[in-house]
Amino acid sequence: MEWLEVFDISLFRSVLRSMTPIALIGFGAAMCSASGVLNIGLEGKMLNAAFIGVAASYYSGSALTGFIAGVSAGVLTAILFGVLSFNLGADEVLAGLAINIFAIAFTRYLLETLFDRRGFFSDPSIQGIDPIEIEFLKDTRFELIFSGFTPSVYLVFFLAILLYFVYYKTRLGTAIRATGENPEAAEDAGINTLRMKWLTVIFSGVLAGIGGTFLSLENMTLFTEGMSAGKGYIGLVASSFGFNTPLGTFGASGFFGLGDAIGIRLQGVYELDSRLVLMIPYALTVVVLILIGVRQRYRVRRVPIDISE
Amino acid sequence: MEKFSFKDILVLIAGLFITAGVAYAILTVTGFIPTDIAKLFYEGAFVGQRNILNTLNIATPYILTSVATVISFRVGMFNIGINGSMYVGALYAAWAGYRFTTLGHLSHVSLCIFIGMLVGALWMLMPALLRVYAGVSEIISTIILNFVAVLFVSYMCNGPFRAAPIAPTTARILETAELKQYFPNSEFHTGFFIAVFVAFAAYFVLNKTTFGYELRSGGDGLVGFYPSRYSSYLGIPSDRSAITGMLISGAIGGLAGAVIVLGNTRNFYQEMAFNQGFDGILIAIIGKLEPLGGLISSLFYAALKNGGLFVDYKTEVSREIVVILMSILIFFVSAQKIVSSLERFEFVKKLDKFFSRKVK
Amino acid sequence: MNKKQKELAIEVKGITKSYPGVVANKSVDFTVNKGEIHALVGENGAGKSTLMKILYGIEQPDEGEVSVNGNVVQINKVDAAIKLGIGMVHQEFHLVPSFTAAENIGLGEEPRNSNGLINWDKLNKDVSEIAEKYGLDVDPNLRMIDASVGVQQRTEILKTLYRNADILILDEPTAVLTPQETDELFQVIRSLVDEGKTVIFITHKLREVMEISDRVTVMRDGEVQGVSETKKTSVKELANLMVGREVFLQVKKEKSKPTDVVLEVKDLWVHDARGLVAVKGVNFEVAKGEIVGIAGVDGNGQTELVEALAGLRDTSRGEILFEGKNIEKNSPRQRRREGLAHIPEDRSNTGLNVRLAIWENLIGTSYFRSPLSRGGIVSMKNILRHSNELRETFDIRSPGVTIRAGSLSGGNQQKVVVARELSEEPALTIASQPTRGVDIGNIEAIHEQIVEIRDSGKAVLLISAELDEVMSVADRVGVIYEGEFVEWVDPSKVNQEQMGLYMAGIKG
Repeated sequence: MEWLEVFDISLFRSVLRSMTPIALIGFGAAMCSASGVLNIGLEGKMLNAAFIGVAASYYSGSALTGFIAGVSAGVLTAILFGVLSFNLGADEVLAGLAINIFAIAFTRYLLETLFDRRGFFSDPSIQGIDPIEIEFLKDTRFELIFSGFTPSVYLVFFLAILLYFVYYKTRLGTAIRATGENPEAAEDAGINTLRMKWLTVIFSGVLAGIGGTFLSLENMTLFTEGMSAGKGYIGLVASSFGFNTPLGTFGASGFFGLGDAIGIRLQGVYELDSRLVLMIPYALTVVVLILIGVRQRYRVRRVPIDISE
Repeated sequence: MEKFSFKDILVLIAGLFITAGVAYAILTVTGFIPTDIAKLFYEGAFVGQRNILNTLNIATPYILTSVATVISFRVGMFNIGINGSMYVGALYAAWAGYRFTTLGHLSHVSLCIFIGMLVGALWMLMPALLRVYAGVSEIISTIILNFVAVLFVSYMCNGPFRAAPIAPTTARILETAELKQYFPNSEFHTGFFIAVFVAFAAYFVLNKTTFGYELRSGGDGLVGFYPSRYSSYLGIPSDRSAITGMLISGAIGGLAGAVIVLGNTRNFYQEMAFNQGFDGILIAIIGKLEPLGGLISSLFYAALKNGGLFVDYKTEVSREIVVILMSILIFFVSAQKIVSSLERFEFVKKLDKFFSRKVK
Repeated sequence: MNKKQKELAIEVKGITKSYPGVVANKSVDFTVNKGEIHALVGENGAGKSTLMKILYGIEQPDEGEVSVNGNVVQINKVDAAIKLGIGMVHQEFHLVPSFTAAENIGLGEEPRNSNGLINWDKLNKDVSEIAEKYGLDVDPNLRMIDASVGVQQRTEILKTLYRNADILILDEPTAVLTPQETDELFQVIRSLVDEGKTVIFITHKLREVMEISDRVTVMRDGEVQGVSETKKTSVKELANLMVGREVFLQVKKEKSKPTDVVLEVKDLWVHDARGLVAVKGVNFEVAKGEIVGIAGVDGNGQTELVEALAGLRDTSRGEILFEGKNIEKNSPRQRRREGLAHIPEDRSNTGLNVRLAIWENLIGTSYFRSPLSRGGIVSMKNILRHSNELRETFDIRSPGVTIRAGSLSGGNQQKVVVARELSEEPALTIASQPTRGVDIGNIEAIHEQIVEIRDSGKAVLLISAELDEVMSVADRVGVIYEGEFVEWVDPSKVNQEQMGLYMAGIKG
């Protein structure tokens, strides 16, 4: 079984890097879905953030400025989505789709207008976000495994735990979940459901912003056209795979990241085609969705007829 | 479906004015003279045989994908997987284009198109069945299938369908399978006529046949009305309508891919990237989910795109400004509350009534 | 009764509330003593729900004032009602399906630790304690999606108790319960009162009023008809007050001359969407030349019976014979072809597709036939002619037939449905709540049409929760209660009091 050789430490590290943007988006999508908003506009939010992050870093020479600008771009795009869906009565899915298409063109347009480039933009004056060396792991065997990632990778672990607590153990979490499942029950309990939806949409904008800057300032220090490459959609898929829960989404993202990492590793080396490996997470997602759907469908059981009445 | 009402047209016109205003502002801010740019836009889109032909060539796939959108949306299914159908349709049309060697022109083209449509339709079978029998959202499942389609075609033209040892592409299709390009200065090909025919056929089927009535009986709004109690109350199986609508939508998506391969690229290669499936949704919305509306707005969009290419070529203005403007128009048109808030104005109400009396 | 119980928990004075076209409450006075079980009874549309919505802050009255525990209060939102100690259990439960009972009960008010996290153990313990105190058998860890209707209702009651409600409003709480569950509920209500709570019990089931309540208020047509101590009244008196009219509205018609039997229903059993038995072995016949009415308060199996007859719901047992043939397996379209038309109670989702044009709705039953279409291709010319004819015959008020059906008023939408169904000249028309939401002028027109159909030798099955309507239009009326016919009556011979008793499920 020589293809087993692909499982090593560097694969593990590559899984963590691959899963980071998916999980960030996935957490945002999961929170939105939990509050009853189907947010397919995350792709566009992420892309806008990736570009604005690079541009701000280039002009200011500061990675932090780039990061803040990128996250702000994600939030602004989220606000656009919210205004369209909640205030102006546009269909959520359409608004999301339009935002995604808008973002692709918007970033390309700025790329050409500001930097006179096509395809990609890289420049030594773009300041990237540096990896973090964890001091107390230095010279231990864990250094190779856990040290030296950029901040967002650690953020994903932190968020998984934080959101788990928020989701299950705070009033905010129960309010969000009640809003998505039965808005009447939520309103009965004095919860402002519209506010909950806005909150999750803005939160998803922040995460999409971080995810975008992860792509353009952390993982690499450049911007390429359409560099989100569907990660906004994959995050959404990962969240439905994970039942829209924090840990489920984390696990599903890990799965997509694993597929990604193995796929890259297998490219052209072994006989097993990487693309077939990449399809596995999607196939499993479909299976999960079927199980959820069927379970809901066959819940009603008929009471037997009692003729003696 | 209700005919265009006055307030819809008002919103569309207002949207066009606002986007034009945005364009004016963007161009002025970036240091261009808007009127000059507008002239170039016009020239690039409409002046001269070559430009007109290129506009029509660009419009071809958009017409098909917008019609595919119209059909799925109007049976109440939100199909955003038309891009996926395009990929597999294109791949298999290419395969049929080099695989069958003994056919005449007409029969070969027909076969390739048939196979492209068939594969595109089959691609939509799973989301349709999942929606109807397991209640899985067609939005999520078609998003998934878009990714799977890209992986699948990439695998196929690297593996089983790979012809050239150097690059991952299929073999070139045979001459008998080509959709002819009659003009040396343009890629315009006969696929355009197929697209126009499909738009008219869709208009006819949806609005003028009992089959179309049955398809629409459960939907005909914007989105998401399946399953319909009205259909089952009339005895029209709404499950069947939903599945059929998705399959037709997928078939037309597959056709859009096939037409590009048979008319433009003449083979399928790994880097082929489609986005017409997504743009087609926006175009269909601007066309009020009518097939002929889709046709007109596709031509409009293609003219803008082609004009944008010309402007990009002649000046420093990026062609992407077209898509930006188009999405701003969509933001405006899809905002239902703007449309309904117009009803407050007395004159809108009166004109609305006047126009609906006209169409009687 | 001791002195404490005489204090007023709720005092409503001169409440008036009108909606466009209808006055739901006309200067209503209503008082509830502390610690009593107060029944509020009346037919559908009597104004009970509106009054309760005002008490719970969902609606605001146009006139009048509300006092709670002796103080005049403004209840302008639900929160305010909850703060005043008023809790309401809606007829349709407001529960989050994937949450456990405790999670639902505590929603928005969960106890927290000092670190801000919810203390689930404390919540579970609190819930168990309250449940035990009032004898409510609920497992705090049971998810609502797996819970029976009875448990869901008890969870709703616990929700109000958890929020320290002293006055509980139960809106038709027994409508969804089995007889055993109803008994359990009554025990709960008694223990609630023993613990000092006040209960307002909305119902139309007079037997239950007699069994459980201390006092009773009867409403009809938005007005209070009478208030009495339950001990001092009788089912007869209540029924009389509830139905009230001296004479039913009269529709001009000759005596019916029934001929051949069109529809024969034998031992029909039907389940509802929740899987409960809704229709329990009913038998009846409808003949040509007669209008058969089915009277009864909403939710007694009428919906399921009609859906089964029209082919929209599977039957669980028994036979439906139409002109002698068993049509149980036939689709709605096949049934229409045999001559069975159906005007459904749910107009905007079932009877119409509001997103389609008027003409598209008008041809729903005939589009596949010549002259409207030939060989699968529709003839717009013939369709528009046909539609415009129907528009004129049935007086559908609209600028044209190409506008969306959804833009019509309720009455005109109903006319579209009626026009489509009657245009087929069916042998039997099932009309379910045909005048619901329709204004007075149009109601008369629809009634006249129904009588005309009968006079042309066709059959009509009329189902309505409006007693007036059934009694004035139908030639023969069956009263349905909990899925069974209580009695068949001749509307010209039965008295009002008797009808009220039948509708409450009491055989005379």
